[in-house]
Amino acid sequence: MSARGPAPTNVWLWLFQRITAVLLIIVLGLHLWLANFGQASASLRAMLGLILLGLALFHGLNGVRTVILDFDVGVQGRKLTTVMLLLLGAASLLFGVHGLWPLIVGG
Amino acid sequence: MTRRIARLFGRGGDLNPKNMRLGVWAWLIQRISGLVLVLFMIAHVIAISQANLALTGPLFTMFNGLRNPFWAVDRTVLAIDILMLGIIAFHGVNGIRIVMFDVGIGVGLRSHKIVFWSLVAVAIVASALVIFYGLPLLGGT
Repeated sequence: MSARGPAPTNVWLWLFQRITAVLLIIVLGLHLWLANFGQASASLRAMLGLILLGLALFHGLNGVRTVILDFDVGVQGRKLTTVMLLLLGAASLLFGVHGLWPLIVGG
Repeated sequence: MTRRIARLFGRGGDLNPKNMRLGVWAWLIQRISGLVLVLFMIAHVIAISQANLALTGPLFTMFNGLRNPFWAVDRTVLAIDILMLGIIAFHGVNGIRIVMFDVGIGVGLRSHKIVFWSLVAVAIVASALVIFYGLPLLGGT
């Protein structure tokens, strides 16, 4: 097995990328509606914010991973990419929850 | 690396604009817009969370700019927001196109062009609706 070559396609990641794509269109529509016209309780907005945060982080970072892996970075490069993006995702999730905190605790 | 770039963009290369057809443009723009949107999302979350938590500091002026009508303040922020809206709309409809092709809808020499331009029209209409109905309301709150 050579160190370089096309990355193996993970069917689950491919499928989740499609599912999150469709959900993001719906949730982003709600997000824009709520930002402009919406009257919603803090808990509903917190819930929508958390869902949007999770969907967008997965879809965005998995998309970045796909783009990077298209550059033939090798087995080590693929592992490093995945680990770095997972760390970035975890940190961003915490930061996003931090930003949503006033809504979550019902401000 | 240099050789690979030369092969991609040189004569006969896949990413030489002369050889790029509609589907390759769509593929390329989808990737670039995706990367731009990740950066935008980070900036968006930072701006909003700063405004939520601190309500002071330099980022609050950015949030203030977002909540005022564009004829009054910070046109740059608004221009970026409108640009992002367009990018999101394109990335979204082109994503729908990708899912459609995965399922096998609209794949064909003629129909894929019709699908593409119809969805671009949908993206333009959706963006226009948000701009004309959404933006004026931001100033009122």
